Amino acid sequence: MRLVVNGTPREADVREHESLLTVLRERLGLPGSKNACEQGECGSCSVLVDGELVCSCLVLAAAADGRRVETVEALGSAERPHPVQRAFVEAGAVQCGFCTPGFVVAAAALLRENPEPTDAEIREALAGNICRCTGYGTILDAVRRAARITT
Amino acid sequence: MSLFSYTKPRALSEALRLLRGGATALAGGTDLVTLVRHGVARPERLVDLTGIEGLRGWSREKGKGIRIGALTPLADLETSAQLAKLLPIVRESLRDAATPQIRNVGTVGGNLLQRNRCWYFRDEGVPCWLKGGTRCFAVDGESRYHAVVGAHECWMVSPSDLAPALIACDAEIEVASSLGRRRMKLADLFVAPQGKRRREHALREGELVAAVRVPEGALERRGTYLKAMERKAWSFAIVSVAASARIREGRARDVRVVLGGVAPVPWRVAAAEKQLEGTALDDNACLAAADTLLDGATPLRDNGYKVTLARELVRRALRSLAG
Amino acid sequence: MSPLRVTKSRDEFEGEIYESTVVVEGRDLAAPRDGAAGDEVGRPRPRVDGRARVTGAAVYTHDLHLAGMLHAAILRSPYARARVKRVDASKAEALPGVRGVLHRFNAPEVEFRQEKALFRDEVRFLGDEVAAVVADSEGLARYALTLIAVEYEVLPHVVDLEEAASPRAPKIDPDGNVHDAGSYTRGDTRRALREAEATIDVTYRTSTQMHNALETHGAVASWDGERLTVWESTQSVFGVRNMLKDALGLAPAQVRVLCEHMGGGFGAKLGTYKYAVIASLFSMRLGRPVRCVLTRREENLAAGNRSATLQRLRLASSGDRITAIEHETWSNSGQGRWAANPTGPTNTLYDVANVSSVAHRVTTNAGALSAFRAPGYVEGTFALESAIDELALRIGVDPLALRRRHARSRTDPRTGNRYSLKRLLDCYTIGAKEIGWSERRAGGTRGSAPHRRRGLGMASQIWGGGGGPPAYATVHFETDGTAVLRVGVQDIGTGTRTAVAQVCADEIGLRLDQVRVRLGDTEAPYGPGSGGSVTLASIGPAVRLAAHDARAKVLRAAAGILEVRAQELRLERGMVVSEGARTPLGDVMKKLDNSTLIGTGLRHPNPDGLALKTFGAHFARVEVDLRTGEIFVEKIVAVHDVGRIVNPLAAASQVQGGIVQALGFALTEERIVDRGLGRVMNANLEWYEIPTAMDVPEIVVRFVGAPDRRANNLGAKGLGEPPIIPAAAAVANAVANATGARVRHAPMTRARVLAALSMAGIA
Repeated sequence: MRLVVNGTPREADVREHESLLTVLRERLGLPGSKNACEQGECGSCSVLVDGELVCSCLVLAAAADGRRVETVEALGSAERPHPVQRAFVEAGAVQCGFCTPGFVVAAAALLRENPEPTDAEIREALAGNICRCTGYGTILDAVRRAARITT
Repeated sequence: MSLFSYTKPRALSEALRLLRGGATALAGGTDLVTLVRHGVARPERLVDLTGIEGLRGWSREKGKGIRIGALTPLADLETSAQLAKLLPIVRESLRDAATPQIRNVGTVGGNLLQRNRCWYFRDEGVPCWLKGGTRCFAVDGESRYHAVVGAHECWMVSPSDLAPALIACDAEIEVASSLGRRRMKLADLFVAPQGKRRREHALREGELVAAVRVPEGALERRGTYLKAMERKAWSFAIVSVAASARIREGRARDVRVVLGGVAPVPWRVAAAEKQLEGTALDDNACLAAADTLLDGATPLRDNGYKVTLARELVRRALRSLAG
Repeated sequence: MSPLRVTKSRDEFEGEIYESTVVVEGRDLAAPRDGAAGDEVGRPRPRVDGRARVTGAAVYTHDLHLAGMLHAAILRSPYARARVKRVDASKAEALPGVRGVLHRFNAPEVEFRQEKALFRDEVRFLGDEVAAVVADSEGLARYALTLIAVEYEVLPHVVDLEEAASPRAPKIDPDGNVHDAGSYTRGDTRRALREAEATIDVTYRTSTQMHNALETHGAVASWDGERLTVWESTQSVFGVRNMLKDALGLAPAQVRVLCEHMGGGFGAKLGTYKYAVIASLFSMRLGRPVRCVLTRREENLAAGNRSATLQRLRLASSGDRITAIEHETWSNSGQGRWAANPTGPTNTLYDVANVSSVAHRVTTNAGALSAFRAPGYVEGTFALESAIDELALRIGVDPLALRRRHARSRTDPRTGNRYSLKRLLDCYTIGAKEIGWSERRAGGTRGSAPHRRRGLGMASQIWGGGGGPPAYATVHFETDGTAVLRVGVQDIGTGTRTAVAQVCADEIGLRLDQVRVRLGDTEAPYGPGSGGSVTLASIGPAVRLAAHDARAKVLRAAAGILEVRAQELRLERGMVVSEGARTPLGDVMKKLDNSTLIGTGLRHPNPDGLALKTFGAHFARVEVDLRTGEIFVEKIVAVHDVGRIVNPLAAASQVQGGIVQALGFALTEERIVDRGLGRVMNANLEWYEIPTAMDVPEIVVRFVGAPDRRANNLGAKGLGEPPIIPAAAAVANAVANATGARVRHAPMTRARVLAALSMAGIA
């Protein structure tokens, strides 16, 4: 299959039944998206496909052929973090960090569509992402902070 | 995960030809992929419908109501301000459905045709009746989320949030196959598994849902959707209620009440709706209608509370139409 | 250098006191006074490894991809109890890409968790390990599992706590299913109950809660012919090392365990499980790295849980005093050989003269329990603190006032030792003010919508968290003047890495970014597992001493280079400061060439004769819909007395996270097991409902903040567990206040709330 991952055209050998998540993590060397529930219940594998926020564990790799995929790795790096990433660090929104990439992608997707979300909109937008450590308070802080940085 | 072949045709006719040959339709995949991964569905050939033009998006033709393409992502319906004005009940029903990630890829057709969430059905290791076994394990098992009414051999519940809402709008569906098109009431798409019919939907082999139509008349009715969940988001309904009615001079006309989460199909009882005709949707009328809706309910060990919940949600939904 | 001495230390771990032999060297430092926070300690600091985690660069055990790595998968019993009579793996072994199969008829003898075999001849729960496959890919390994034919003789099973405790249940332990799990008595409860003016006798239940850390359990093992290196998602690198070396018959030096980043544990990852032994055995046999990672389903079957409990409480009062508490508990241990005793709070929290408690553990054909964040205390506090409120209602006393009367004692009733510090009454005062307790009315108040009632409730918390030895730290300087701090602990997400860096930076006089922390590696001197809220209170004081030692050495060296007296120098944020001059430490270090200055520190024993405890109180405001049974938790105020707060940002997040996990326990989280099949029906995150961002109330976090200067040289105690302990009872009490109905079973699902409302004649 061919797809554009984080701006770069990539090719991978895939088996029909594999998920996009498996391809990203195991074929393309992008382990930032996590596999935590395997069935779309936790959001840890969130990526953007053609700009839409999706659970990559529910996308068949074959169905992603020819599409544009953005993962957490594309948003920013340790040297040049994305405003959402910076905000997550500063707000203390990271504990174990395993759910964090999924939250970061979901939050970035939200702010792209809606740069000044209300609290209720933030909660709704993140309701598909499970965090077991932080209790979400600092994550909501981070998204509000990121919204301030971006606007 | 079982092995299967995958094709993504561009033309509807090609997809229908493949379906005719026994292939399984794939749209957003949010349900089918998990079914396959857990060994509950074992398709040999998948036909990805998402490459087909013309089945995505919704439109309104003056006097002819609304037509929604079956491949329209749920998120498109949920976020359309225009549709929210015409048919607010759809947005209400989708807001609590699944998660943003799933609504972005899940489609209208897929939502209507999703398999039930019964944990015995979804567990590959349990040979339940619906999968060809001899009995429903919920009957003397863990039944807190199972049916209280309308069940025969299988006590699963219809999981869709969208279906009750659309049925309350008198929705019809366009069904396509290589043999042609037919229209049917959306309500008739859902069947309670029974006897030789070990399935939840009335589609014939090779058919797919192409579109949903909401008649013009339904746009004149007020509608509302209420849903009870264990947590505040991302749960399937314990009980949900879609209700709609035309209110003239304080009296209700053309009332529809459809329950989700209580029966193997979106649950509707004509007598209950008739009973409400011409009433002011006062508490007594609402509760009497709820009683008719739930008449004959036979809860299992763990789910009697659903009857209490359903009565109250019906009352609230109808009261809010009056108000 | 002062001489070594060997002494005893008494430390609390998860509610039990342990005595150990420790070697002590040198003198400890005094804890800084109240308010004497440095540039770092006591200030909110983002995580030093935050950027790696937000960018996806942090490598977790799940993410490891070693050259030549193979994948192992485990075949698990489809029956709750059965004898494994025959295993035919020939088809799996014949599959190209399959590199090996292990099962009870071919596995080497391995002693693990007090059993002689890795694969049981009688499998004892659905999910018990039957066989394992190693193959070129995970998918292939899982497919190969389906080709293994096993002949089982199915045996009678029992999975439910109350059924297993009944005399009619199949005996799954030869000596019966119910076992003693501890008892405690003071005074004469029988007499006090007899002579009481008022008594209550109530039964509570709590359901099984699953940890469901986002990263499932897993390990990657790599044998190089002489040594085994294991990367594991763990709360205790040394715990894993010790269990593996014993199981595999290796010397300590032959097993190295690494854990740089890990995706949550909550108690379930304190030791290791069979998957790591399996990965190790395969790696040792094949000479290639082997990864074995559990699926979400496996995580919910065979990786620990918080036991379901049945608890009976009898309380007696005369006048405004509680005169007796009797508490008897039964815990579903599954296949575990211990119980998380729920009676700890009953035995220690309140000044009640007559207390008697008996705990039982009940064996069932379900997965073994494991520690789960304040094991026993969460379950026990739900029951005890609910019962205190029920008694308060019975005798017409404000429940907070009733608690105040019994929270004044300065000594631990179990040992007679004085508390090093106890500020529980301050917690009450702060929390009551913040929640608006004075507006609480018996019978609740009107809610914000028709049929809704509003109520307030609260509950208290006691827990250990004093930590103790042994724990060691070393600090050495790089040639640029930055420091490397090495500790044998791990950061399980709580922010240990950042907290120890703060302590180190302050003590030396460096900026936070000048301290690099190396942890999660058994090559370092010993550090404790991250459980029992002991990590910071154990390792922090050792870090401080190591940094203190390093600072003294670097100043002496700097004095030589700068040709001044060491006493005239100090270090401030990486600068060597003398009268009138500031020199970057890096400039000084450069002149030392490769000479390396190393500071060392160890954790001194806890003070004799003192009880080190943490205290706290949670206050909840809820609304309840009387017609639908829906609970709306609007606000939680959490006040904790845990000594000095090293990093307020991380601490507040820790408290919020604990509360939300408690809300899951209180409202939605519950393992559901079909009794006939012995099968977990919600081994997923769909019907096992963890709170989402939509479920979270306003949470106000307050700390008393006074350092516990008698406890250790930081004055800090643990905070991991305290915030999960009282929240469920606070919510249950608020629900009862709002509605007049008492829900005695957690989680308080719709069905249970509606049933309680109906019993009370309300719904």
